[in-house]
Amino acid sequence: MSGIVSISIQRFFVIYLLLSIVLVIMKKSNIDQTRLLFVASMRMTVQLVIAGFILTYILKNPHPAFTIGYLVAMIAFAIHRVLSKNKELNLRFKIAIGASLSVSGIAVVLFFVIAIVNQNIFNPQYTIPLSGMISGNAMTGVNLGTKTFREIVDSERSKIETLLNFGAKPQHILLPFVNQALETAILPTLNSMVGMGIVSLPGMMTGQILSGTLPTTAILYQIAIMIAICTVVCLSVFGSLYFGYQTLYNNRNQINYLL
Amino acid sequence: MAKILETTNLVFNGKLYYPDISINRGSIVFIQGPSGSGKSTFLRLINNMVSPSEGKILYNDVDIEKLDSIGLRRKIILAGQSIYLFNDTIRNNFIQFHKYRETQSPKDREIKEYLNACCIDFSMGISCENLSGGEKQRIFLAIALSFKPETLLLDEPTSALDSSTADCVMTNIVDYCKQSGITLIVVSHDTTLADKYGEQIINFGGIENEWNSFY
Repeated sequence: MSGIVSISIQRFFVIYLLLSIVLVIMKKSNIDQTRLLFVASMRMTVQLVIAGFILTYILKNPHPAFTIGYLVAMIAFAIHRVLSKNKELNLRFKIAIGASLSVSGIAVVLFFVIAIVNQNIFNPQYTIPLSGMISGNAMTGVNLGTKTFREIVDSERSKIETLLNFGAKPQHILLPFVNQALETAILPTLNSMVGMGIVSLPGMMTGQILSGTLPTTAILYQIAIMIAICTVVCLSVFGSLYFGYQTLYNNRNQINYLL
Repeated sequence: MAKILETTNLVFNGKLYYPDISINRGSIVFIQGPSGSGKSTFLRLINNMVSPSEGKILYNDVDIEKLDSIGLRRKIILAGQSIYLFNDTIRNNFIQFHKYRETQSPKDREIKEYLNACCIDFSMGISCENLSGGEKQRIFLAIALSFKPETLLLDEPTSALDSSTADCVMTNIVDYCKQSGITLIVVSHDTTLADKYGEQIINFGGIENEWNSFY
């Protein structure tokens, strides 16, 4: 196996030409998201360039503080993204989301790096990229789960109100909504596991093969990371919604719809 | 007759000020008043769906804030204005609502009686999805009756019914409540129904609130 071929900067810029195809199709289909396409491409480029420089520095000068700092920053960003999309939630619900994302994210990263890869948790080469994949997927899962839960509660107000008026307990009314939202949030991960290796060669495995790793080693990492992602999505969404839904009613079993 | 419900200096949200009210056990009470005068909120205060910002509500001489709220709502049933039924058969609606309340669903014979009391004479096996608004409202009331409450609160129970069906439903519900000793408190715009069935009529027309203080 040979190591990866570096892309020259001139050739690299050619890839942006592909975006013109997206732009043409968007124009033809009257999708008014040209600005978003531009902003998204620019943000991605700038953020990844900065991440590239920071990671290069950290890998050359490994220090536990850098690894912890990067891990904390990733989780904090994931929490910020979820909360900024769910501004209407009450403070205790937001705390439940923050705590669930942090605890489940850190626990799964620790388990993966220490028990599976058998590396020091402060080794940035393993901890940082694995944390990125884990916290990123947890963020997407919690976003989807919370959005689904809010939509269900919003559309089922008449059901909630009627059942409370008839003497049902809020837990009995809201818990099925939690389960429904959890199922919605976890399904994309399960579906991607079903198609893996046949429909797609996943990102982590592709990256490792490109950089010269034996495919047999790459698949072990890929299988392990998929199981870790499935677990972190399930844990973080369950924690967020299970502790979150209990903030919607008080000790008099009165519902506060201002989620 | 013994008092079942008594309110003193009741204020909701610092905006709605209620007159002191006293209701006897087993009586038929109608509440009237213009929109926004706090009629529906009053019913929600009684079954503790909301709490007053000031004042007290005594139920059987006990402050309702000291009673278990779920237990209270199982005794004081509120059939609200917005009707909710499961997309299922009439029979299964009875079963599902009772399951949520953790109570035994009534037998078919009893369901039939509750439906008859609400002037519904069709099969229990038909789905509620395709029924008219008025039919849904009557099934909703029949389900509320099946919980055998101590006090039944109805918020505009005949809003989707024509006058003759409304009269049939109210006659039967009032008879049922009288026979079973249920206290019935009804919010209704319909003065004819209130005059005909109400043993006590409470008017919230004159109560102070933030909005009508401007006029």
